[in-house]
Amino acid sequence: MLYIHEASCISPQQTFSTIDLEHVTDPVDNKLHVAEPAYGGIPKNMLRRMGKAVRIGVGASLPLLDKISSLNGFIIGTANGGMEESILFLKQIIAYDEGVLTPGSFVQSTANATAAQLSLLTGNRGYNITHVHRGLAFENAVIDAAMMVNENKGTSYLLGGIDDISNYNYKLDYMDGWYKEEEIDGQSFYSTNSAGSIAGEGAAIFLVNDHAQNALAKVKAIKTLHSADPDLIKRAFEGFIKEQQVDLSSCIFLSGENGDSRLLPFYTSCEEILGTDITIARFKHLCGEYPTASAFALWLSCQLLNRLQMPEHMIKKHGSAKQPSSILIYNNHKNAQHSFMLIES
Amino acid sequence: METVELKQQLKQQIIEFLNLTSLTPEDIKDDAPFFGADGLELDSIDSLELIVLLQRVYGISIKDPKEGRKVLVDVNTMADYIEKHRTK
Repeated sequence: MLYIHEASCISPQQTFSTIDLEHVTDPVDNKLHVAEPAYGGIPKNMLRRMGKAVRIGVGASLPLLDKISSLNGFIIGTANGGMEESILFLKQIIAYDEGVLTPGSFVQSTANATAAQLSLLTGNRGYNITHVHRGLAFENAVIDAAMMVNENKGTSYLLGGIDDISNYNYKLDYMDGWYKEEEIDGQSFYSTNSAGSIAGEGAAIFLVNDHAQNALAKVKAIKTLHSADPDLIKRAFEGFIKEQQVDLSSCIFLSGENGDSRLLPFYTSCEEILGTDITIARFKHLCGEYPTASAFALWLSCQLLNRLQMPEHMIKKHGSAKQPSSILIYNNHKNAQHSFMLIES
Repeated sequence: METVELKQQLKQQIIEFLNLTSLTPEDIKDDAPFFGADGLELDSIDSLELIVLLQRVYGISIKDPKEGRKVLVDVNTMADYIEKHRTK
């Protein structure tokens, strides 16, 4: 069991510092870029070298670092790390014929740059690991964190999911059919009958440990799968609900539905087994599609189980529960990587 | 190239290589120290970036760290070294 005590998020919406999800920022050119705050706590020499992924990861972590006295390490999930810096470094290798290369781009381009910068900033020499399993990078970070707190009682970790949009990976994924060709306006992408989604990015960071007292929420269970078969996912989802004895009458289903017609059957087949009482909500219009979007869903769950009233624009179907006590997240990345998370208050 | 023109170009290159986006060439004085609180407050990673700049743009290779310390003091010392040793 993993307990979440603090949560922080930099996203395309107003989620950092003051939270306001009633006023939604819409995508521009089918991209939802993060709203970056002023980064007061990062030394300027570090800040000017940071790529966006590192910047938002460290920036989202700072408010949590201010609140804790003892931390045992950093566990980060990111599919791409600092992609812009990686491409810059690769271009330099070609341009200068594998000769003299600047160290900055190399240092910032590695996937573990965020966790490393956090360690340098805090002087923390504890557990420091970055999971890079593409669409399950964050989920694997969650599993790692759960194992760490269960095996090392009393320890606390900073857990995060971070990815950014780079021009390079956007173009590659666009050519591969993962982003929509037609211009998307607001939430209209949910009802388009075409392949692809809108691009997104974000950093969601959590302070986790095994203390139940005063926790915002707990990750009761998590399951990850690789499959392209909707029936297999439906059966696995059904098994997950039975195994965890989820009370669907007081639960919200937080769906990773992203407007991609190829992924929709996965989500609808899972919805079919949930019955009529459950509230079904969607979140990708807030953060866009990116490999660690499930971290945004977890941050959203922490808010919904505590202080945030579910905004109407998130609701796909109203249920009977007035005050939810649990949230069931299902996310599907690129028709291949699936995760279920059960979050309880 | 005139020394004044070289210094102006060098300041622009320093800003680009070190990503000093908050500065313009006019903000960097010729004798402002690169390192330390009284100047640009650069650090050891920046000095590596400046050595790469010298090699890429001016064809100057600095291999002796002692020599590097004398060259990477301020814009004046860097420009002076470039004028004497440039191969590009």
